[in-house]
Amino acid sequence: MSDTAVASSRSQKVFLTPRRKRQITSIILAGICAVWVYPLIWMIAASFKPNSELFSNQSMIPIDPTLENYIRAWTEANLQRYFFNTLFVTVGSVVITTLAAALAGYVLGRRAFPGKWVLMGLMVFTLFIPQGYTIIPIFQLLTNLGIGQSLWGLMLATCGHNIVIFMLLFAGYFTQIPKELEEASRMDGVGPVKTFWYVMLPLAKPIVVTVVVMQALMAWNDFLLPLVITLANPAMRTLSVGIYSFKGEHFVDWGGMTASSTIAIVPIVLLFLFLQRYFIDGLAGAVKG
Amino acid sequence: MSGVTLRNVKKNFGSVEVIRDVDITIEEGEFCVFVGPSGCGKSTLLRMIAGLEETTSGTIEIGGRIVNDLNPSQRGTAMVFQTYALYPHMTVERNMGFGLLMNGVSKSLVKEKVAKAARILQIEKLLDRKPKQLSGGQRQRVAIGRAIVRDPEVFLFDEPLSNLDAELRVATRLEIAKLHSQLRGATMVYVTHDQVEAMTLADKIVVLRDGRVEQVGAPMDLYNNPANVFVAGFIGSPKMNFVDVNHGQLPDGRVLRLDGPNAASVATIGFRSDSLKPADQGNGMISAKVSVVERLGDAEYVHFQTPWEQELVARFPPEAEVGLDATFEFELSGKIHFFDANGRALANVMLASGAVAKPV
Repeated sequence: MSDTAVASSRSQKVFLTPRRKRQITSIILAGICAVWVYPLIWMIAASFKPNSELFSNQSMIPIDPTLENYIRAWTEANLQRYFFNTLFVTVGSVVITTLAAALAGYVLGRRAFPGKWVLMGLMVFTLFIPQGYTIIPIFQLLTNLGIGQSLWGLMLATCGHNIVIFMLLFAGYFTQIPKELEEASRMDGVGPVKTFWYVMLPLAKPIVVTVVVMQALMAWNDFLLPLVITLANPAMRTLSVGIYSFKGEHFVDWGGMTASSTIAIVPIVLLFLFLQRYFIDGLAGAVKG
Repeated sequence: MSGVTLRNVKKNFGSVEVIRDVDITIEEGEFCVFVGPSGCGKSTLLRMIAGLEETTSGTIEIGGRIVNDLNPSQRGTAMVFQTYALYPHMTVERNMGFGLLMNGVSKSLVKEKVAKAARILQIEKLLDRKPKQLSGGQRQRVAIGRAIVRDPEVFLFDEPLSNLDAELRVATRLEIAKLHSQLRGATMVYVTHDQVEAMTLADKIVVLRDGRVEQVGAPMDLYNNPANVFVAGFIGSPKMNFVDVNHGQLPDGRVLRLDGPNAASVATIGFRSDSLKPADQGNGMISAKVSVVERLGDAEYVHFQTPWEQELVARFPPEAEVGLDATFEFELSGKIHFFDANGRALANVMLASGAVAKPV
């Protein structure tokens, strides 16, 4: 082989050093990321622009920045009320869903009982029913229970959305935990409830975090269910429904809408950032299981 | 502290009998080892004593109380699991004190008990660590510590050393033996498949097979006077040599002359590796061709083939330096065991002088 051929093959190799490869990958990923977050940035930027500037100013940076949109949304559009409604529904449904799914998943994952697989099959079957089909029966059920027009009713209905998936996540995770841990705690004279609470649930932390984040996201952003349940009672609206009210029949208040949307996403982004590490662990763990 | 008595204990899993009519008496303060091949039911039996498995029939007594219907925690036992079963999210201190704390014992008393157990096991410096920051041996100590803290009448060990490497296993074995003498009066029941562990630790060995007790006795008792072929083959390393005797003939057709009232019933003779002594050419009982030599430093185990193509093993002193393919003749000296067609040991039999004769 001639010297030049060797040299050129060597220089090719040098061009794609691992470091260079990483740089190229990073640039591509940054590009994709930019496309992804652009609407979000646009929304946040627009929320600080007066309505007159919204479509005339093509730049991201407002010429005449203002908090007027936020003030209007928070006070006039009753967003304050909606915010706490949403917080109530979200926190309540996260607590109930996580506890219920963990308890059910514990039994499904670790106990054998007659009819277990039929029960599991039925639950998995419900995953295939589109949400839209169940809204009217849920509405009726809540009305019959006397909580059809209350935040409690909305909160309970919100719990039902993903609970089957969460139960299966917990069941899969609990199945992997060695039985000796429970036996050790039985030998220690610790009852089943305390064993669940002090031994099993702490071990399922990645799944708990996953369920908390997913349920919080879902409850916070849910639109169809709160729309239907709060139709007759605007004071019960949640943020996602409330934001929709900025869209009138003939006029859309884009400024108000972007400001209220920004208000709506901040808590959920914060939650995610706070729990991000565990969340990823949980998903990885769930795949393993 | 108190003893454990099992009477006619049976256990079925569905229609499968895993423990059949077991009677065992373990005295107070005794170190009793259940030993047997895997699947013999030794762990199940231990778990039945612990209360982790139900007893199908029969009674289990601990310290004079029948405990069949008591919860595990009420039986006065503490268990050390093969996999340690430490709570991964708790520190060593919390692992050891967890049971007491959950049962309403005051924090200061728990701390005191944990500190005392930690001192016995020399793990005081590890109390703030989590189990995953510990080595296998340290984890095992913590698991033992968790048992000590409960101040049980009976300690139950379920193959506690089998997850440790060879060196650590020997070291921990010694520590468990020390612990037994230190916790004077503590009754210990220990399950293992390793007969060396059984021999070195036990006051009393229970040999189990297929859910039945094959023999109960002191280690040297089992070694010197096995009740049947199974125990003879299981206890002792290397395994005892067995040669079939068919109507008084060795497998190669030569006649084996035996004396004694039971001589006619002998179907198998057994002898340990150290009962084979090299003999002069033409005078030996068994001629041999060496196939494998294991040099252990303090002895050489020479595996050889008999003319009827059976592998047997003989112990040589370390300086013997036996070569592969060497040929020997052996005579039998020392203890010979005789068994009938059902594998039961026969007493009152001995080799007659000039035991082996040419085929008739």
